Amino acid sequence: MNEKELVKKAQSGDFEAFSLLIEKYKNKIYNLGLKLSGDRHDAEDILQDTFLKAVDNIDKFRGESTFGTWLYAIAVNAVRALHQSRKKAELRPIEEYLPSGHGSGDDTKELFEWGDPHELLEQKELKKVIDDALAEMPDKYSAPFILRYFEDLSVKEVADSMHLSVAAAKSRILRARLALRERLSEVFKEKANERV
Amino acid sequence: MRECNKHIQEIADYIDGELDAKLCDDIEDHLKGCKNCRLMVDTLKQTVILCKDGEKEELPESISSKLNEAIKKRWEKKFGKA
Ligand SMILES: [Zn+2]
Repeated sequence: MNEKELVKKAQSGDFEAFSLLIEKYKNKIYNLGLKLSGDRHDAEDILQDTFLKAVDNIDKFRGESTFGTWLYAIAVNAVRALHQSRKKAELRPIEEYLPSGHGSGDDTKELFEWGDPHELLEQKELKKVIDDALAEMPDKYSAPFILRYFEDLSVKEVADSMHLSVAAAKSRILRARLALRERLSEVFKEKANERV
Repeated sequence: MRECNKHIQEIADYIDGELDAKLCDDIEDHLKGCKNCRLMVDTLKQTVILCKDGEKEELPESISSKLNEAIKKRWEKKFGKA
């Protein structure tokens, strides 16, 4: 049975059908929550909130987006509700993550060459740098980035889940990517200097 | 293109394979002569690759069964016996 049929059945009260949808998405939603919050308890809350809201609102799902996109939108809202009281530092404008952000032309600073990051950091350390950086970012940047590159959603699907225009989604994804690139670059530079 | 920074969104689209062929050619021409943009392309690419390398965590069984219970309860409230 395809997803559309499962959703139809679930909407008419078929719990078996809904259970199959839970099976398909529970791991994805858990990982999304984990990446956004950096905390297992929060991820558990986000997971539960998301599916309970999905039950409450299943009849409102009209199939304009895919079921997955609809579910991610609920999850992102659950994260937002949970994090409302937690202030995270705003990211800088895109230009400031670029090499000549403060000068121009000839005094452009050269970017640090990474080489092979795996020679500088172990996989586990790498994962921690990435996870910490994403968890520190405001959700409005980390969520689109995670949906795009961890969940492999298209830009259009990211835009739909976040209720953004395609251009705005693209720009937030890029800002998160540049901030993460910069953080990784700092860590790699530090590691490379330790070696010399 | 001395003003590389203005084209960062195009460079990102180029990396993700979402840029028109014509603009791709322009970017590729530019990359030949601009080391910083080459490094930007390489490190932005790697940023995403490194993210994808990280393993996903398995949902712990205890959380999964708690979740199923909570959902079932909510379902019965809405639809009657599941
Ligand atoms: Zn350039």
